[in-house]
Amino acid sequence: MTRRFPFLLPFLALAHPLGAEVDFAHQVVPILEKHCVECHGGDESKGGLSINTRELIMDKDVIEPGKPEESLFIEVLTDEDPDFRMPPPDKKDSLKAEEIAVLERWIAEGAKWEEGFTFAPDRYEPPLKPRAVKLPKGAPGTNPIDLIVAAHLKAKGTEPPKPVDDRTFLRRVTLDLTGLPPSLEILSQLPTEGNLDRVAAVDKLLANNQTYAEHWMTFWNDLLRNEYIGTGYIEGGRQQVTTWLYRSLVENKPFDSFIREIIAPGPESGGFIKGIKWRGEVNASQTTEIQFSQNVSQVFLGINMKCASCHDSFTDRWTLREAYGLAQIYSEKPLELVRCDKPTGEKAVASWIFPELGNVDPAKPRDERLKQLAELVTHPANGRTQRTIVNRLWNQMMGRGIVHPVDAMNTEPWSEDLLDLLANQLVESKYDLKAVMRLIAISRTYQSRTEVRGENEGTYVFQGPVRKRMTAEQFMDSIRSVIGVWPAPDKNAFGKGLTGGQLTAVMAAHGLEKWDNRPVRAVFAKRDELQAALGRPNREQVVSARPDIVTTLEAINLANGPELAGLLKAGAANLQGKSTPRELIENTYLAALSRKPTDSEVRIATEILGETPTSEATEDFLWSVFMLPEFIYIN
Amino acid sequence: MKHENWYDESHPELTRRRFLGALGATTAATFLGGAPRGFASSIKQPEATADSCILIWMAGGMAAPETFDPKRYKPYEVGTPVDQIISTFPAIDTAVDNIKICQGLEHIAGVMDRATLIRSHFQPDLGSILHSRHQYHWHTGYVPPQTVAAPHIGAWMAKVLGGRNDVMPAFINIGQQLEGHGESEELKAFTTGGFFGSEFGPMNLPFPDLASQAVKPPGGMSPDRFAKRYKALENLLKNSPKSEELSDYHQESMLRSIDNAHRLLGSKEREAFDLTQEKKEVFDEYNTGRFGQGCLLARRLVENGARFVEVTTEYVPFLHWDTHENGHTTAAKMKKEIDRPIARLIKDLEERGLLDRTLVVIATEFSRDMMIEGVPGSTAKDQSRAKTDVIKEMKHYGLHRHFTGGSSVVMFGGGMKKGFLYGKTADERPCLVNENPVSIEDLHATIFTAMGISPKTEYSIEGRPFYATRDGHGKAVRDVFA
Repeated sequence: MTRRFPFLLPFLALAHPLGAEVDFAHQVVPILEKHCVECHGGDESKGGLSINTRELIMDKDVIEPGKPEESLFIEVLTDEDPDFRMPPPDKKDSLKAEEIAVLERWIAEGAKWEEGFTFAPDRYEPPLKPRAVKLPKGAPGTNPIDLIVAAHLKAKGTEPPKPVDDRTFLRRVTLDLTGLPPSLEILSQLPTEGNLDRVAAVDKLLANNQTYAEHWMTFWNDLLRNEYIGTGYIEGGRQQVTTWLYRSLVENKPFDSFIREIIAPGPESGGFIKGIKWRGEVNASQTTEIQFSQNVSQVFLGINMKCASCHDSFTDRWTLREAYGLAQIYSEKPLELVRCDKPTGEKAVASWIFPELGNVDPAKPRDERLKQLAELVTHPANGRTQRTIVNRLWNQMMGRGIVHPVDAMNTEPWSEDLLDLLANQLVESKYDLKAVMRLIAISRTYQSRTEVRGENEGTYVFQGPVRKRMTAEQFMDSIRSVIGVWPAPDKNAFGKGLTGGQLTAVMAAHGLEKWDNRPVRAVFAKRDELQAALGRPNREQVVSARPDIVTTLEAINLANGPELAGLLKAGAANLQGKSTPRELIENTYLAALSRKPTDSEVRIATEILGETPTSEATEDFLWSVFMLPEFIYIN
Repeated sequence: MKHENWYDESHPELTRRRFLGALGATTAATFLGGAPRGFASSIKQPEATADSCILIWMAGGMAAPETFDPKRYKPYEVGTPVDQIISTFPAIDTAVDNIKICQGLEHIAGVMDRATLIRSHFQPDLGSILHSRHQYHWHTGYVPPQTVAAPHIGAWMAKVLGGRNDVMPAFINIGQQLEGHGESEELKAFTTGGFFGSEFGPMNLPFPDLASQAVKPPGGMSPDRFAKRYKALENLLKNSPKSEELSDYHQESMLRSIDNAHRLLGSKEREAFDLTQEKKEVFDEYNTGRFGQGCLLARRLVENGARFVEVTTEYVPFLHWDTHENGHTTAAKMKKEIDRPIARLIKDLEERGLLDRTLVVIATEFSRDMMIEGVPGSTAKDQSRAKTDVIKEMKHYGLHRHFTGGSSVVMFGGGMKKGFLYGKTADERPCLVNENPVSIEDLHATIFTAMGISPKTEYSIEGRPFYATRDGHGKAVRDVFA
């Protein structure tokens, strides 16, 4: 709710009588607009100071109402040191004496502000409720995603991206849904180009509960900050949700139940809302109660509550009171609002941030409040939750969110219809995440060629999926599937203590009495140096997007790090003598890139391998293939 | 020692932009390791007085009264009430008349005329002492936990200043193992580029004598084979039918990084990582153990263009400076380990004309005291393992409690005053800072300012500004600049 100068009109005719109070709109605003707003208003808050609203200025203690002589705001206007003077002398002229006099008088009179006035620009305000989508016309049976995208592209005057061939599609969708490239066996059963039943292929991948869960575990571990070892465990200030999470993925638990079990948890799913408790005193904005407020908002609603948990946000509409209201739902003890590490004396009241959907009852005990919150987050009329998750799924599969970045759901989507279509699909399928993925995967839009992007191109226009970088886990697992060597299960992964136990979780979900030699996927390994270099986060904070570029230290690690070198050695030993060089080349290309090598690639690979490949030559060949951008990027 | 030069002579065809160039990728590649980075904001950056920074980290809490801030000395004597003990080492003279330091630091005493000694550094108590948490605070300027991953001070240097040349990694971390002990996860949490991303994170070299392996072909691989492997990759890239799709910045980043890695692995600067290239007598003088070797490595890296190097005595719970008992004996041992190599490092830098533009900082997460945990009135739990009222045996003798009320920092070169003493702590317990207090943010501001980075430098993350010093509040201690 922003407004600019709605109050000006009635006053325009009035002259400013001498001796009367300073007129905020006519006298103060123009001075601020001319000298200050460029750096301290709108989207800018240089030096952490935004003057968009009175509250924001007061937050920073730069104005002492009634006492201009004690106000830093005035002091910096005349500071003799050019390094401290405002506006910076190299940027703007200093204020005239009469302008300073107006501001001094304004502060002396209490720095009054027009109710509701802000320097912030009008913003996109996303709808909260779900919205029915009227589909554009098209051939019967057309995937509704494609109908919307086609209409969107037509309106933009853009050509639709070209479709990909069966192999590119199969590699993409297999990596997206299972984290692995298609196996040699699957590839050998491919019909001639153009004849793959793509819908059946998608259904088959989604039907494999195990590989689906193993892959999407990475995404959810990042989002729920779930790691098997790490900070906080040392003192019992942290709890895993591994067992619950893995089983939920295997069962494809409806997403509304999933959320309810996290927010109002049972014994196995409480780790997320517990947060990480560090011993000793922590910053007021990092208590476990505030972590709860921040993490629930970010993960399920795409709201950044981090700013608002210290002061009213400069960048969106959330306030300190709302951040604490959420925290109080979780808190067992009454919380006092703390603004920028200074207690305010105001007590928090347990409340939820979209009261139009109902609210929690602050008088109820905590577990009741959490249940009420869980109902509100998953309320059928709460389109925000639905849009947030489908946008995340779209981002995972298409390389870029319809709303981007995915944690800023107050941003305008490039297609509201598309976002709402997917959200409605989620609800209609009874919160079946796989149903949403399926709708995306069988669309022509998903099956298009990736766009070729430069860095920092201007306004985003959809031109096809964005190429995705394999995660650390996908990279490790893909290499292992190519070389056919999987690690022995880590003994610590079978524990039942605070840390570890991730393979016990797998056994529990699949009803295994003992480990059955299934591949131990990288998601269950501890984060080693190579995985860290490849971008697996330490999960101290919620992570919703992995790095999309390859860094220098990573390239050094891939060139000479012991982990990859060891894998290549094991791979060469496994592949040694099992096939002719030609077969080794073809199988490696197929397994790694899902395509056959060209003649010139065969020729070069043969040069690398020699007639009777040594172990070293085989390692070098494998390394060269794994270093191809075509391998590490999902095209 | 045979000089392995597989890059320059045996394979002259290897050129700098080989992998990116192989594909004719279009955009002008800004080499990530080399190009200076634009500042995040238009904030005015101070004029640098140093180009490189070496942080010598006394991990685990170095007691100031046993090192750089000697107090009333009480020799070991069974039956002494412990509250009479403040220092367990006598003071010694240094090259500067008005500065005395503790016995056991004779070599450093000899170079104190090149130093600024700050005795008034202090840390917030945080209500409970966990070394890794205080180290997180010291290394990032922010108290954990944080809503975003706070970058290490070295990552700030890497991000804002970049490398000094186009091969040497900007941020190198020597001597700390990040695996295998009780607080390793906590250490990893700040040994990172934080939200800047891993491009700006540390190159970790836990064992100085093995550092050369980090920039060499993998173990057992001949240089010739390593070169051939890169050649194979280049040929496969050139012949890939997919190469027309490669002018995508994601894929380009990969080739650019492979180029960067390849360039470092093939550069003459990589020899800086190899301590065996050093003369034996020099190596021996530094070699008091891993820490001493780390100082030598730091010198070699700075000579070859490193921007920020940290060398640590290594934090392992209850080891090294982390004295929960046997404080006196351990402090004596630690001083033996640090004294000679630090002094030699300063002299070497000076001899090479590098000291003026290299800021060397000796610091620690907090000091220690015989009696006080935290500061007077702290709620921190007493963690001493040698609790007693009177000294009964040697293990009782020494400073076994974590003291946050005053510690010492030594700074050499990089625009700092020479032979200068700044700040004081009380002579009697509690030995709190009583003159010119220097907080972590102000100390960081001083280091950043020397390096030409304003303490108010900010980057935007998740829609909010994040500053080089906490909320941009750090103020450089102007008095210590020459």
